[in-house]
Formats: sequence, structure tokens, C-alpha cells
Amino acid sequence: MSTDASNEVRLAAESAASRAAHSAADTAGQEPSGQKSPRRKGLSERNRPLWMLIPGGALMIIIIVLPLLLGIFMSTLNLDQYTLRRWISSPFIGVGNFVEALTSSPLLHATWLSVSYSLLAMVVTLPLGIAAAVATQNAFKGRAVIRSIFLIPYVLPSFVVATVWRTMFQPDGIVDKALGTIGIEAGLWLNGPQTFWTLVLVQIWASWPFIYLLALSGLQSVDHEVHEASALDGALWWNKLRYVIFPYLKGPLSLAFLIGMLHHINNFTLPYVLFGVPAPADVEVLPILTYVTSFQSFRFGLSAAMAFVSLVLIAIPLFVYLRAVKLDDAESPGAKK
Amino acid sequence: MRFKSSSGLAAIVTAAALVLTGCGGGSGSTDTPTSADGKVDGTGKTLNVLVGVLSQYPEQQKQWQSDIAAKFKAETGADVKFETFASANDELTRIQTSVVSGQGPDVYGLGTTFTPTAFATKAFVTLSEDDWKKVGGKDRFNKAALGISGPDEEHQAGIPFVSRPFVMAYNKELLAAAGIEKPATTWDELAEQAKKMTKDGTFGLATGYKDNFDPWKFIWAMSVQAGNPIVDGDELKLDDPTVKKAYETYFGWLTEDKIVDPASVGWSNSNAVAAFASGKAGYLMMTTSSSLPTLEQSAVAGKYEYALMPTTAPGESSSKNEDAASILSGDNLVVADYSKQKDLAFAYIKLITSKEEQLNYQKIFGDLPANAEALESLSGDAKLKPITDAAAKSKATPFTGAWGDIQLGLLNVTVQSVPDLAAGKVDSSDLEARIKDSQSKGQASLDRASKG
Repeated sequence: MSTDASNEVRLAAESAASRAAHSAADTAGQEPSGQKSPRRKGLSERNRPLWMLIPGGALMIIIIVLPLLLGIFMSTLNLDQYTLRRWISSPFIGVGNFVEALTSSPLLHATWLSVSYSLLAMVVTLPLGIAAAVATQNAFKGRAVIRSIFLIPYVLPSFVVATVWRTMFQPDGIVDKALGTIGIEAGLWLNGPQTFWTLVLVQIWASWPFIYLLALSGLQSVDHEVHEASALDGALWWNKLRYVIFPYLKGPLSLAFLIGMLHHINNFTLPYVLFGVPAPADVEVLPILTYVTSFQSFRFGLSAAMAFVSLVLIAIPLFVYLRAVKLDDAESPGAKK
Repeated sequence: MRFKSSSGLAAIVTAAALVLTGCGGGSGSTDTPTSADGKVDGTGKTLNVLVGVLSQYPEQQKQWQSDIAAKFKAETGADVKFETFASANDELTRIQTSVVSGQGPDVYGLGTTFTPTAFATKAFVTLSEDDWKKVGGKDRFNKAALGISGPDEEHQAGIPFVSRPFVMAYNKELLAAAGIEKPATTWDELAEQAKKMTKDGTFGLATGYKDNFDPWKFIWAMSVQAGNPIVDGDELKLDDPTVKKAYETYFGWLTEDKIVDPASVGWSNSNAVAAFASGKAGYLMMTTSSSLPTLEQSAVAGKYEYALMPTTAPGESSSKNEDAASILSGDNLVVADYSKQKDLAFAYIKLITSKEEQLNYQKIFGDLPANAEALESLSGDAKLKPITDAAAKSKATPFTGAWGDIQLGLLNVTVQSVPDLAAGKVDSSDLEARIKDSQSKGQASLDRASKG
């Protein structure tokens, strides 16, 4: 197919997509305030019962804000097993814990491991999830069964996934035997440098259905007319996918990317169950390091500082994302872009 | 913001207050009255006890708990409520929350090596002369078992409950077939004997290099037997040549002597037990009497015996520390400092450390009594003899809050060496670097402990 033709298809598809998006937004925008313009301050806005937010607000403060402040406070204390009992009065050392965390602990290495492993797992799971979603988009016999099977890794508890994989990865275990039959000597999976790849592999196995789910939800929002229009314009499958379908997936998938990354960076169960503590140096990711510092070495202050660093680490992409994709609210239609 | 209804606001404030008091609610009972004859009257009270779950014997443990609760009720009128934790981490979390909030279980069961850490929090009762009387007197306990109850004899918080000393098991048939008359008493002899037994898929030793505890126990034992106490005052001595020698011996079983299954780089202790139980190994290292039920139902039933592990360090002709046949291992009981019913707690401990209850516990769970009389009465049992011997020859690991870190460091050397082990050679300089790393981290921890 020539470039001209494909451009034409793309333009047609884009206009169709934007039409569909607008009509959807219009209907959404009209719902709350009837025929009124959404920007004029209506009665409802002047007289909003904001006090109803108090229970939720109070819970937020108790459950999220207070522990966060406590955590930050803890990170400035020399808090260990000797001072734990009267922890409020344990010695204040300012940024001492942060300095120690950054200079003489494996924190930076752990951060590097966490980010690189999460990115790798994400980069592989994205196409996998999309492919699975596209493959199960059109109706065929047994589709419901396939869709259910796809979800199995996602609904299994992390603990179970890790235990099963650990058993399979034992030296002389089922993986080694299987690879042995085709003449591959794989070496150790649960110790040494290869552990990093073991972690990435198991993470991919466990998390691609999440991408699949969100990609599926994106596909569901593609209007029937869009398929029809692109068919009429003569788009073949790849062009249709590339220029018609993928734009619809951009929102859900960037959300999936973000949530997935946060989840991977925060994932404790998987490395903990797979490799145990102390973990091999190649999989000493952030949560493991924080855990060991807190619960094996009893350096609660130091570990609070590490946890705070990882919070900042996570907040950066989150902030960038939230700025880039302003999430829709009901009153400002099409806020995206 | 507008508040339409002040009654609605009042309702919310009340609800919030309820939530907050709910978080901080606790029993405000006063101490238990003690009558003149020393009997504690706990009518209407409930004692909370936190102990580890015995995953091998879930049914029996429940039964034991309800039996002992009935006896305690008959004696004091108080109820006992048992809570269990599944892992050391679980336990630690419970202890931490209790320590910080000042409420929780009255009595805790602690592993021996964890006792120094718990002691360092100062959250548990250091027993006075008077307190010891309340639990039946200090003399009631096996002297060795008291070795890790506190930093010195005047400051003890841990009341010994059971001993679980480490021994080795050997397959009598395999030893006889190799012409070995009696089990080894030095580590060198052990390797020699194991070499003779290693052939056709059978290995001289069974041990797990990926176990979360075993590796550091070997290194500790071999070093202590060579005269290195590991912790000497405020100094950590992992950089001593004895420690390196211990690692070389321990790793050498796999890389030099080839007397262990190469797959054991991925084994934990239970894999080693399974290998021994199938008759594929001459010796099972670092095991306790709790392996007895498994072995009794296995292919080696009736063909195995327990024996003391060697007490002569590698390369030495005689031991510098005969008493280091095993780490001092088992469970201690501690009473929480915040408990408002300490006398009741002591009465409970008195009950379960009595001779009868200790023997009963041994019969059900296999753990040795900490009660001296009860232990004495078992020494006639030929099968248990080596284990009771080991209980008397157990040596406590150093009593410092830094021990957790030191233990982790010792273990970490093995964890990071496993890939080299699997490849068949642990490079001497790599090993030294790993030991050095553990030494500096452990020393830092020890420095904090001496300040703490």
C-alpha cells in the first residue's frame, strides 16, 4: 500500500475517532446540569454540601496523611531496637539517615535495580497484553474461556505465583530438566546474576494480564461506526490497528503503564518469596532493602528514610503523568489535551 | 464550606471520636491479687499468650493449648487466650506494635537467638529474685538453657521453656558398609568418612546451602571450636582466619571433597532431611529432635541414630571449646513489661515449666525439657541420649542486640557465594571480600549496640 493511501486512511480514521469522542463527551457534559452552560456557577455549586466530605477527609487524614508525616518524622530519628520503646524521644539526627542511606547503603543500587527491572517488565508486558486483547476482541467459539484463562496469572496471589516459580526454578528442578532435554545448561536461577532475569521473567508472567485487561477496556470503547468507517475506507488490519484502534488505547495504556510501574517498584512479595532474605545482591530491590533494614537490622529510622526516598522516586513519574494527562471530570468535557 | 445541620456535624464528631478511642482502647485492669499461700487468684481475668505455630503438629498444638488452659483455669480461675504467629517476621511485627503501643500479649514465646534483640527493646520484665521464685525458682531450669536469658546472671528476662539442640543423624547401614565403626568427632574425620560413603548417587553428607539458618550455625560452631568467640567485648571477629577456614571447610564439602549432592546449593534443611530419609546420605547435618517423626516414617526408620556434631575445628587435633556442640537453641518465655497481670503470667509459666508438663510436651512435640529434673529423667532413653547430651553441651550465641545483623552477615556470605559454589569453585579473594563486608556491617551494628 502506498503512503498516500495510508495517510488517507489515517486522516479518515482520526476524524471519525474525534467525532466519536466529541459526541460521547457532549452527552456526558450535558447530564449533570441539564441544558445550562457548564461554566456558569449554578445553584448547585454555590450551595454544595461540602461538609459531607468530612468523614472521607478525616479517614484520609488518619489513614494516609498522619502515617506519612509519622514516617517522615521517623526518618529524622536515630530509631532502632534500643530506642524503639520510647520512640518519640529517640535522638533527633536530622538528615543523618538520608545521608547514610545515600552514601553508605546500597540504596542507589537498589533504586537502579528497581527501576530497570520495572521498566523491562513493562516494556515486555505492553505488547503482550495488547496482542492478547486484540486477539480476543472478535467473537469466536470459546472466547469466554480463553479470556478467563488469560486472567489466571492476575488473580493468583503473588505469594502463590512466587512459590510455584521458586519450586520450578530449583537446581535440577522442572525448568532445568526441560531445558536440559534440548541441551541447554541454564545455571542457577535463584542465586547469582541470573536472578535479575528470573525476577523480570516471573514479573512478566504475573502482570501481563493487567495490561491485557486495560487494553481490553480500551478496545471496548471503540465505537462500532469506527470499525465500519475504516472498513469502508479500505484499511487493512495493520493500518486499522495503528491509526484507528491504538489512539483509543493511548489513555488506558498510559494509565496501565503508570500503575504497572508503581506496582512493580513496590512489589515486595515476589522477590521476597522467590529469593528469600538476605537476597542475592542482584535482586536487592528497594522494598527488600527497606524490609531488611527495618526488620532484620532494626534500623527503623534509616529504613523510614529509604522508604521516603522511594516515595519521592514514585512520585516523580506520577506527577509527570498527572500533568500530561489531565484526567476527565464531568464538568469540563474533553479535558484531555 | 457550609454546614447545614449541626446535628449532622455532631454525629460525625462523635463517630470520629469513637474511632479514635477504638484504636487506643485497652484493658485497664489492675494487678492480680496474690493470696498468702502463693496461689494467684485470676478469677475473671484472661491471660494473653503469643507463641509460634508448630506447623508440623497443628492438631496436637491446639489440643495441648486447650488442655493447658483447662489446667490453668482450675489452678487460678483465669482463662488463657493463645495467639500464634507463623514466622519470625510475624512475631517481630507483633512485638514492635506491642512495644510501641504498650499493649498486647502478656507472655511471648521467643526463639533463643531472638532473645537478645527482644531484650534490647527493654520491653520485657527482667526477673528479680522474687520473680524467679514465682516461676518455681531458677534452680528448676537446666543451667545451660539459661545461657541466653540475659546479658549476665543478674539481668535475665528469658525463662527457658524448651531446648532444641542441634545434632547430626547418621545412617547406620551406610556407615557399616563403608567400614566405619563410629560417627566422627572432628570435622576432618567427618569429611574423611563422608568420602568413603560417597558413590553411586549416595552422598556422605546431606545439608542445605540455601537454608535461611543452617549456614551461619556451621560457621559459628567451627569458629568457636577453634577458639574464636566471634564477638569479643565490643569487637567483632569475623575477619579472624578461623572464620575463613570455617567457610572454606563448609564450601569445600561441595567443591573440593564432593561429598554433598551438587543440587544442595538450592536446598533448605527440609530438602536435606528428605534426602537422608530416602537413604541417599550417610549423615544428616544440623538437625534436631523434630526430624524424628519424619525419619520414623521414612525408608531409614530403625536404621539411623543421632550423634553429637563434631566439636574439633577443621585442621585442629583437639577442641578448644568442647561445649560448642550446638548453638543454644530452643524457646524462651518473656513477660511483657506493660502487662498488668504479671503475677498471673508468672503462674502460667510456672505451670508449663513444671516437670510433668515438660515431659508431656516432650512426648507430643519432641522438644527437650528446659526443666532440669525432666531433662534428667530422659537421659535413660538411648535414642534421645545424644540430644540430651547436646542440650548440656550447647553454647549460647553472643548476647547482643547486634546479633541479628551479625547472623545476617554470616548468612549473606553464603548467599552471595552460592553461584560460585554451583560453578564448583569459590575464589579465595572473593570470599575474603564478602567476609570483610559482613565484618564492617556487623561491627557498625555492634558499635550501635554498645551505645544503646
